[in-house]
Amino acid sequence: MSLFFYLFFGFVGLFLLLFGWSMRKAERGKTPADADVLGEYGRGHVAHLPQIRQALAKTDFVYLSQKAPSALARRVRQERRRVALAFLSAVREDFQSLLRLAKIIAVLSPEVAAVQEFERLRLTVKFIWRHELIRMQLRAGLAPIPRLGALSDFVSSMSVRMETAMKELGERAALAAELASSFHGGGRDTA
Amino acid sequence: MAEIATFEKALWGLSVLLKWGLLGLLIYRKHYRTFPFFFTYVLLTAVQSPVLFASYRMWGFASVTSGNVAWGTQCLVIAARGLAVAEICRRIIGMYRGIWALASRLLLATAGLVLLYSWAVARPHWQAAVLNCDRGLELAIAGVLVMVFLFARHYEIEVEQTVRYLAVGLFLYSCFSVVNNSVLERWMWDYALLWNLFRTLAFVASLLLWGWALRAQQPETAALPGMLPDSTYRALAPELNLRLKALNEQLGKSWYAEARKH
Repeated sequence: MSLFFYLFFGFVGLFLLLFGWSMRKAERGKTPADADVLGEYGRGHVAHLPQIRQALAKTDFVYLSQKAPSALARRVRQERRRVALAFLSAVREDFQSLLRLAKIIAVLSPEVAAVQEFERLRLTVKFIWRHELIRMQLRAGLAPIPRLGALSDFVSSMSVRMETAMKELGERAALAAELASSFHGGGRDTA
Repeated sequence: MAEIATFEKALWGLSVLLKWGLLGLLIYRKHYRTFPFFFTYVLLTAVQSPVLFASYRMWGFASVTSGNVAWGTQCLVIAARGLAVAEICRRIIGMYRGIWALASRLLLATAGLVLLYSWAVARPHWQAAVLNCDRGLELAIAGVLVMVFLFARHYEIEVEQTVRYLAVGLFLYSCFSVVNNSVLERWMWDYALLWNLFRTLAFVASLLLWGWALRAQQPETAALPGMLPDSTYRALAPELNLRLKALNEQLGKSWYAEARKH
């Protein structure tokens, strides 16, 4: 009886937390109704991947640590870590672009499949968890700077494929999103 | 105790005034067209006060008949409250047919599960039955409102300011009722006076919030967003999920493969 009695308070506390969180304004920026999101994918970060890969090349660092003073090598190591972190955020942005696109399509579709929606939610949670773990390890200097070549290749190829898919989707999606965008007028907040 | 009773009477008078004021505002601003169930709910709460007053005058505050009238009218009010919450949910995501179909099933499941839980853990005593029922419904209402706002946040759906305030009023009152009823169930008569006072206080706060939310006129129906053809979702949703999954796997592989080498 006592446990159940306190559980009611627990439920209320949990609900208050979740409600407060869900009422907070989402990050200012794009909502799924923004039409330009549709065209955004494939541009931006991935275009700079060759340079990032170059900056993270192991051979460069080995050469530098042999020839340059240790202070410089340490500074370069810090810079490399910073680049790795920036790249990680870029990958996250790419993931979010895909996610945003999926949300626009779900919101504007007359029928959605629960399986697909829950799968996407699961993948999002998994990605965020993994991303945060790597980011924290990198920041704390507990993890080696990864060779991100494979990942960058993958992101590049995916962006090309997505661009093709978006062309197939055509102008209809953009039109629908524009309609929704005009519907979401002023005086409203994003939940 | 005497001070509490006087304060409670004053608060009760204020709440009656606010209820009728809100009802007047709903009629004046023609909100009954936009929020018909919310209007019905406010109407019932406004009517409940004189009915209770009359029954207390006629049969006395502690009589069984007055108790029956009080809980009977409360059943009607809480049913209207449930419908008002459903209306809010529909207003938030109802226009997006696909996700509304998914959300409505989830919301019903949430409400059902919460009610089941409340019923299962309730004290098996007939005197507490109505109280438990009331608490279960209030907890279900809070759960449904949390779910709908989580849904809106997940899909980045914009919520009208008025609907947001109405929802906050309903949610906070429901949460407070759950806590209040739980304490009452535990300490029954020792807490009865304070229970009534806190309940009225919470309701006055909600009434003020709703009055603030409804001070301006509302558009009757929100414009419907343009919908995509069925085939778009069927074609792209699995594809996008596959890519999200692949990106996830690549992130893991790129990282952990490198980490293992060191």
